[in-house]
Amino acid sequence: MNIDEIFDFTSFTIDREPHIVLKPEVCSGCDVRGCVNCCPARCYTWSEAEQKMTFVHDGCLECGTCYVVCQRNAFSRWQYPRGGFGVAYRMT
Amino acid sequence: MSKQFQAIVVGAGPAGSSAALAMARAGLDVALVERGTFPGEKNMFGGLLHRMTSIEEIFPDFWTKAPLERHIAKKGTTFMTGDASFHVQHETVNFDHTPYNGYTVFRPRFDRWLAEEAVKAGATLINRSTVEDVILKDGRVTGVTIAGRKGELKAPVVIAADGVLSFTALKAGLRQPKFSADQMAVGVKALFDMSREMIDDRFGLVRDQGFANEYVGCTGGVRGGGFLYTNYDTVSVGIVVHISSLRNSGKTPYDLLNAFLEQPQFAKLLSGGRLAEYSAHVIPEGGYTMIPELFGNGILVAGDAAALCNATGVNLEGINLASHSGILAAKTVIEAHERNDFSSKTLKRYKERLDLSWVMKDLKGFKNAPKMLHIDRIYNEYPELVCSMMEHIYRIDGTPKTSIPKLIMREVQQKIGLKNAVSDLMTAWRAL
Ligand SMILES: Cc1cc2nc3c(=O)[nH]c(=O)nc-3n(C[C@H](O)[C@H](O)[C@H](O)COP(=O)(O)OP(=O)(O)OC[C@H]3O[C@@H](n4cnc5c(N)ncnc54)[C@H](O)[C@@H]3O)c2cc1C
Ligand code: SF4
Ligand code: SF4
Repeated sequence: MNIDEIFDFTSFTIDREPHIVLKPEVCSGCDVRGCVNCCPARCYTWSEAEQKMTFVHDGCLECGTCYVVCQRNAFSRWQYPRGGFGVAYRMT
Repeated sequence: MSKQFQAIVVGAGPAGSSAALAMARAGLDVALVERGTFPGEKNMFGGLLHRMTSIEEIFPDFWTKAPLERHIAKKGTTFMTGDASFHVQHETVNFDHTPYNGYTVFRPRFDRWLAEEAVKAGATLINRSTVEDVILKDGRVTGVTIAGRKGELKAPVVIAADGVLSFTALKAGLRQPKFSADQMAVGVKALFDMSREMIDDRFGLVRDQGFANEYVGCTGGVRGGGFLYTNYDTVSVGIVVHISSLRNSGKTPYDLLNAFLEQPQFAKLLSGGRLAEYSAHVIPEGGYTMIPELFGNGILVAGDAAALCNATGVNLEGINLASHSGILAAKTVIEAHERNDFSSKTLKRYKERLDLSWVMKDLKGFKNAPKMLHIDRIYNEYPELVCSMMEHIYRIDGTPKTSIPKLIMREVQQKIGLKNAVSDLMTAWRAL
């Protein structure tokens, strides 16, 4: 299977407001970055060149893994999307 | 503007809807608040709804009412390496008639059904509403606020049934602000469309029979396991991995899932299937030792929010515990209304009820199971040992055979080391 395709099979109602917001300086000083490899939806990307973390909330499955794996409290916001927004499973 | 209820339930998952159903049936005016556009929209799981004895008490003909897929008549375990597998299986006619031992279900259908039953009994379901905070007055919880909305929902008692991360329990001061990655697992799942006939033929099933299989050794050495469950015309496959072990491995859950799907013996089972949906969620696997405070003034915590999930290694039981804890919470709230006392003095009866129930007894009984699951050799060396031993036993190549006890000793020494094997056995014995 081409793993890149798997992410296109989930539906979302995307909110403009992100429900997760990072403190960039905390991530820049982090030497673990478990969020990058543990997030099942590839929301976290670390750029070695820019020493910078990019987070995209669009494809977030609201699974909670990053909330658990981050031991540095990097979130200035970590909440579920407003009612009616976010991931919308049809079957699972 | 604020609205007054006799009880508020946060989260219309199995815990919340069971609680709302039981309270509404007792005549209480209950609000059931859910952040999805409908209950179940946000929820995924592996796929096995174990027998729901607490719901059968309310609906004795549960299996004719609920939107279930297949009933589980056949269970298997497969030890797997990159190129070999060894499979054991159990099947009995006793699991092939009512009351069934378990079913496959889809959460968006099942959770919605259970919530609608609560509504039929008189509960008020409030969808599209993410609870933001609890209202505290003189040290007691008296209601909740909804994100992006003015006004409050008020009630003398709130049941936090908002799942594993339970921000409601956090805001009420009942759970620790930080989780340990050692006590949490994440599951990723892919659903494959496949015709009903193909599923019946491939897995040896007739009528509404279903098959549930667990896999060990399919997670690239990361602590965890895999699963395959048959629905009517789809197959659920996925892996569950411990978050600390995943973090340390540097691997990603979707690459591990992909490798599992591509293992040659596994890939055969899915050939012809079409990917239909991908989903993921965290599981509180720490068991008994990670249970938060279960009650406070004006508040109770049920289901995953209270970490009432039993991962013994053989089964992953969550929904049945969630539902039962929701019903025990409901009983306690009904009693609190009779006494008109919502302080922790009355609400502590919830914990007493739980302690006496199979929920806590099971969690206590398997208190050490998480320790066993932390033996890293289970996920690599042992499956390899089993598969290579079987290969030696079956192989015919014109050389003299090794006696089986000798073979076991040799393989254990080579692959595990005798000392490790003895210590693992002891840990497993204590755990189970
Ligand atoms: C990969 C995986 C496989 C699993 N396999 C199995 C299995 O095979 N068998 C089994 O029995 N269990 C299994 N489980 C465990 C099971 O899914 C859970 O134990 C069960 O769902 C817990 O039910 P709950 O009602 O407590 O919580 P949930 O099902 O999580 O429900 C919580 C509800 O609250 C809502 N909510 C959350 N926050 C808010 C808020 N702030 N405001 C409003 N609403 C909110 C959510 O949208 C959700 O509907 C599995 C779990 C996972 C992740
Ligand atoms: S989110 Fe947490 S784990 Fe990830 S890089 Fe930032 S500080 Fe590190
Ligand atoms: S909640 Fe899950 S899917 Fe969303 S960003 Fe965090 S790890 Fe990724």
